[in-house]
Amino acid sequence: MELIYSIFIKNGGWLTILHGLKVTVEISALSLLFGTLLGSLLCFLRVSKFAPLRIFAQVYISIVRGSPVLMLLMLLFYGILARVGIPPVAVAVITFSLHTAAHVAELLRSALMALDKGQVEAARTLGFSKWQAFKLVTFPQILRIAKPVYQSTVINLIQWTSVVGYVTITDLTRVINNIASRTMQPIITITGGLLIYLAISWLVHGIFYLTERRREQ
Amino acid sequence: MKKIFALLMTFALLLMTGCGGGDNKVSDSNKIKMGMITRLNVSEENFEGFVKQVEETLNVSIASHKPVYFDNLNSMLAALQAGQIQEISTYTSVARYMIAKDPHYALLEDHSLEFIDSFCFALREEDTELKNSLNMVIKEMQDDGTFGKLTKEYITDIKTYSEPPAIELPHFDGADTIKVAVTGDLPPLDYVSQDGKPAGFNTAVLAEIGKRMLKNIELVQIDSGARAAALTSKQADVIFWAIVPVSEIIPADSDTPAGVVVTAPYFKDKVVHMTFKAETK
Repeated sequence: MELIYSIFIKNGGWLTILHGLKVTVEISALSLLFGTLLGSLLCFLRVSKFAPLRIFAQVYISIVRGSPVLMLLMLLFYGILARVGIPPVAVAVITFSLHTAAHVAELLRSALMALDKGQVEAARTLGFSKWQAFKLVTFPQILRIAKPVYQSTVINLIQWTSVVGYVTITDLTRVINNIASRTMQPIITITGGLLIYLAISWLVHGIFYLTERRREQ
Repeated sequence: MKKIFALLMTFALLLMTGCGGGDNKVSDSNKIKMGMITRLNVSEENFEGFVKQVEETLNVSIASHKPVYFDNLNSMLAALQAGQIQEISTYTSVARYMIAKDPHYALLEDHSLEFIDSFCFALREEDTELKNSLNMVIKEMQDDGTFGKLTKEYITDIKTYSEPPAIELPHFDGADTIKVAVTGDLPPLDYVSQDGKPAGFNTAVLAEIGKRMLKNIELVQIDSGARAAALTSKQADVIFWAIVPVSEIIPADSDTPAGVVVTAPYFKDKVVHMTFKAETK
């Protein structure tokens, strides 16, 4: 117990962990926001009737989804954006947004494909405009179908961010590694770090569960 | 279609059963697995080639060890604690720190080869002026005993329950800034203090260098594997580097990527082997 106290709490060590956690949450939240917006746009392009847009979205998704996120991050930070002078956290947000967007685009497209087209046709027959049919019939169903996979994407995104130490960012994983190096207790420290990541995942799961329950009520 | 599928399945089966190389596996299983930190710009195959050359040239036996490579000290220590490797290769200063922090770690005295690595700074080839300035300051600090004083404070006198606090880096208004990448992964030379600030011997050396050169020092923390990329992409101006002992067997540039130059060494440390004992007496 004393060892755990000296590793995680003593001399304000918990504040350093909290700071790392804040960086992880910051990068994850911003990437999720921009990734979801960009992903929705990509999905729109992917199902477009205009072939060049459809092909562009298809190529983008296949390249980004097939690339390891660490390679993408290093390529942007040390290559493409190296001379631009963008802060490392911003580069991380850009990378994870681009990566998440590809996944979100595909999960939204699969939700769209799972929809019964007859319902939209019925709504249109009843006099709904295109926008009304989308807002009142298609969109709520997409949300319901996509939700479980989206939840996994959010949790995956949080875990993907653990590689940002490669681009000079001190996130939760790096803080945990720093503590492990200083205290020479890697197993205990890594277990502590894993529990924090697990707690974040459960929090995400809890939020989705609550929204689901509210919808059912 | 069926033929293609059968061909693919056969290929997968061959991969899974690991055709070829069986003889090596049998002999490797009897060797002592020794953890090592991956060296930049030296492939594992090249390094094993050097080891073989050392054995043949110096007539020593180190073939009883099988190197297992790790990206950082943490994962290597975790493997040692879990028993996946039996020994690790590290520096005397790090070994002393490890024993001070956890008495389960023990030094092995009987390994047959002793290497002394030199610590220096690595810079981009074109930064000649910075290299010359650093070399001049390193010489000054060696001559006036500053390195000896810092070695005593940050390495020799290391305490069991505390580390020297992170040193404040000097600031000079309007002066140029040298961006230095640190890994925080090699205590007591390079680690991150409890309040999250880079600390240790290397940071203290940098603070002194900054004072003497009248330049600001900015520290960025980075994973060990990204050091060369940080330097060549100009995300960092200086990185820490350990050069292997140069001899006829191991070429001087064996560990230095193209376009990178190193300064004169400011610290030397002997490579030792460590083990982990689950129970201490």
